[in-house]
Amino acid sequence: MRLQATGLEAGYGAVPALHGVSVSVEQGEIVAIVGRNGVGKTTLIKALMGLLPATSGSVRLGGNDVTRWPPSRRVRAGLRAVYQERAVFSELTVRDNLRLNGLDASAQADVLEMFPDSLIGRDQQRAGTLSGGEQKMLASGCALRAGASILVMDEPTEGLQPSNVDLLGKHLSQARDDGLGVILVEQHLALATSLATRFVVLEKGEVVASGHADEPDIHERIATHLVI
Amino acid sequence: MVGRRADHRLRSKRKGSVFVVDALTSEILNGVGSFATLAIVALGLGIVFGLMGVINLAHGEFVMVGAYVAFMVQEAGRSHWLAIPIAAIVLLLLGGMIELALIRRIYQRPELTILATFGLSIVLRQLAELIFTKDFRSVVNPVPGATPALGVLYPTYRFVLIAVAVTVVVVTLLTFTRSQFGLTVQAIVADRELAESAGIRTSVVNSLAFGIGAATAGVAGALVAPLGAVEPQIGLTYLPGAFLVVIVGGVSRLWGVVLGAGIVAAVQTGAIHFADAVLAQIVSLLLAVVVLQFGRSSRSGLVA
Repeated sequence: MRLQATGLEAGYGAVPALHGVSVSVEQGEIVAIVGRNGVGKTTLIKALMGLLPATSGSVRLGGNDVTRWPPSRRVRAGLRAVYQERAVFSELTVRDNLRLNGLDASAQADVLEMFPDSLIGRDQQRAGTLSGGEQKMLASGCALRAGASILVMDEPTEGLQPSNVDLLGKHLSQARDDGLGVILVEQHLALATSLATRFVVLEKGEVVASGHADEPDIHERIATHLVI
Repeated sequence: MVGRRADHRLRSKRKGSVFVVDALTSEILNGVGSFATLAIVALGLGIVFGLMGVINLAHGEFVMVGAYVAFMVQEAGRSHWLAIPIAAIVLLLLGGMIELALIRRIYQRPELTILATFGLSIVLRQLAELIFTKDFRSVVNPVPGATPALGVLYPTYRFVLIAVAVTVVVVTLLTFTRSQFGLTVQAIVADRELAESAGIRTSVVNSLAFGIGAATAGVAGALVAPLGAVEPQIGLTYLPGAFLVVIVGGVSRLWGVVLGAGIVAAVQTGAIHFADAVLAQIVSLLLAVVVLQFGRSSRSGLVA
């Protein structure tokens, strides 16, 4: 399965935040979206999921034009998301969050065991009482175990301790090898460079650079655009 | 006070037994009946407001449709008990269709939902007039007679009404608080976008929840039909009380609607006992004003 955005434009009200962005991901690869704050990375994630309507361009998923599909229909077609903010239902328990993501008992246990020091034994706790990093772990675990083909993630390591960043990286690497496609918006460049098979650099809502991880000058090209 | 209560004492005979009909006991039973009716009517209003933020001014007309369903079932020669599930199904479908055709298009404009449901209430009443005319229709009481309880004789059908209404309220509450469907509703109330992103079809849940809200009103309509005349304006009798309950109980927790029904019924029953029905209405409205003025700051969002 392939997620393909072509010439995507989206924004907030009359203010456009994406200007003809084209990006794609296949199953079994991780595409890192990098760029400074406010360049449209979160807007891109929302537009790919259907939370923000595309004012122009298209989004295709597995051969279907999903541009006008609501998020829930995209989810049923194999797409999942982890958002930077409001990653979990904070008023509901950890267990309820697992159930709401359609996970059976075995998958629910898997999610808790993915981050054993942070989540095991806390399933009856309100998700809102978890730290920001723990909420991200819960959301990432749910998305990774929900059986999706393509996953879009917005800053999943924000608030995570270094040891848990490594743990999440290990789970993402395993999921990629198992055939999951990931679009990863990530400020943690070390993690992004260790996982990504391709890079896309956004600047002012446009793609200004892209390339494969095995290109010799790829890190220099990325760094050029990230220097303030 | 004792003398006043003694004045209200009546005697009646039933199957050879003698019962003292105590006015206070009768009024307490009336209060319980009022609580049950208020709770079942207001519950649907609370669900729709809590989940969707829609102030449904046509909710009383859903009660009216339920009452006419009971009348039509009677005209078809069927049992009144059949009318209750039929009213639930008819209103579930009608409510779902109204959400799909009208409410869904104006969620983002709360002021429009008020206008739209006000218009809908007029349309439903006019339709009832076209089909049934303004004439008062009656539904025969399926359980005539009285039953002794707490030393008084009380109409048997009112006991049945209380039992059915309480059962419907409890089942509805459990559905919204203990089931997977209830969990999805709570998720939507908490964060609609995140719920969509978890694969929950929020539009379907909205239709279903609106339908369930209408269905509870329909059951209420079928239940109260034998107690009085069935006519196009019958819904207007129940709407103010239901809104009062939602204001007093709030919708931040669905059980609050039941609590609100209890408070409003107790206040009204007490006022009727010690004064009259007019004062009961005044006291109820004052209660709503006090709650609005000094009550909880958060009055939206449906949580089990």
